Amino acid sequence: MFDKLIKKSALKSPWLFHINAGSCNGCDIEVVAVTTTLYDAERFGFKIVGSPRHADIVVVSGPVTLQSRDRLIRTLAQVPEPKCVVSVGSCPQSGNVFKGSYAIDGPLEKYVHVDVAVAGCTPKPQAIMEGLYEAARILEEKREMIRKAAKGVKGS
Amino acid sequence: MLILRYLFYVLIFPGALFTVLVGWLLAGLDRKVIARMQRRIGPPVLQPVYDFFKLVGKENIIPAQANRTAYKMAPFISFVSLSVIMLFIPIFGFTAVNGVADLIVILYLITIPGVALIVGGSSSGSPYGAVGISREMVTMMSYELPFVLALLAVAKKAGGDVLVFNLTDIGEWQVMNGCMAFHWSMIPAALAFLLVIPAEVGTQPFDVAEAETEICEGPLCEYSGAPLAVFKLSTHMKMCVMSALFTALFFGGIRTGYVVTDVILFLAICVLVTLVCITTVHAVTARLRIQHLFKFYWKYVSVLALISLALVWLGA
Repeated sequence: MFDKLIKKSALKSPWLFHINAGSCNGCDIEVVAVTTTLYDAERFGFKIVGSPRHADIVVVSGPVTLQSRDRLIRTLAQVPEPKCVVSVGSCPQSGNVFKGSYAIDGPLEKYVHVDVAVAGCTPKPQAIMEGLYEAARILEEKREMIRKAAKGVKGS
Repeated sequence: MLILRYLFYVLIFPGALFTVLVGWLLAGLDRKVIARMQRRIGPPVLQPVYDFFKLVGKENIIPAQANRTAYKMAPFISFVSLSVIMLFIPIFGFTAVNGVADLIVILYLITIPGVALIVGGSSSGSPYGAVGISREMVTMMSYELPFVLALLAVAKKAGGDVLVFNLTDIGEWQVMNGCMAFHWSMIPAALAFLLVIPAEVGTQPFDVAEAETEICEGPLCEYSGAPLAVFKLSTHMKMCVMSALFTALFFGGIRTGYVVTDVILFLAICVLVTLVCITTVHAVTARLRIQHLFKFYWKYVSVLALISLALVWLGA
């Protein structure tokens, strides 16, 4: 009944949850900068939430350290479908300057499908915002796919 | 016919649908105006609607350690009690249900959303929920006292020798004697009521129970999907109910003669009340600690309400 509205809403109201997987705090600050007065991600409906259960988009920064690996996997499993994973910075992609360290077990791709990867050390807030908006579009598609799959199950 | 009329009252106007729509409007304006105050563009006014429907479309996860029945019913109870309150509040000339002691009923019903939040939070079995519900209980204890005192002051003022708990009678008294807000002895009570509204709704300086940066939104921590959507919706409905109650109590003496213009004027005052006591306060303050909140309400706000009550008792 409200399918159209729900589809539109998926694009208009993506909530972020931010996981720090051993980041140097540089990317974390830039992610927060996206929601400040200058860049104002709230005009697209973005909101940083406190619990992974409320999230649509999971922002991961940092080169997955051994200490944070289990927490990362557990937190990602708590996010309800449809969800998107955005990696911010070069660390989750390649390990960046930490590559080859005994303490890291990356890249992030090993544990979860990454929908959007924003590279840079650190990426600009504009770049992060574009990545997040792209993720919101993917979110809308994913929601359609889930709905169609559910319909198929009901029909058969 | 009578059944149909009451169904219309409960489901559409002034019950569930009207409360939800006004709640969305107030919440959307609230977010937009805060953004403008901080020199941002801000989300569209329809943002709460988008949030609601997005959450409805999400997967609903029930934690393994949760009590399933209480977990699912809590948001529903909160929603129902809030839409019932709206039936008792007269919209200037128009009242859906006219009881003998509306104010007492409203006083009981208005605690139910808070209790539902406590039930939902404790049934989710999360440690963040446990911290959140203890804070929610303290918050409820702190704002209930000035709230009741302010209502008593209004009841005494309208009654004279006896206390009048009927909102329609209070409205009629205001038609005869001018709005409550324009009597000088009632101004402290009005101020106390305005300060109670943000704690009741749970917005910025008084949102210790749902602090998203420290305890992951407390009782709502484990909620996802449709139940979370209904809890968020009931927060928006609380905005509508509290500002409507303020308007009925302190500006209830306005009559235009037509239901439509009455409703529009009523909404305008509701929006104004929300912008003054929720949005402005939200934009300029940071979150209090729980002991400071308790102290603030019992020390300052209660005294404001008491001054009013004393003045009315002495015949001012």
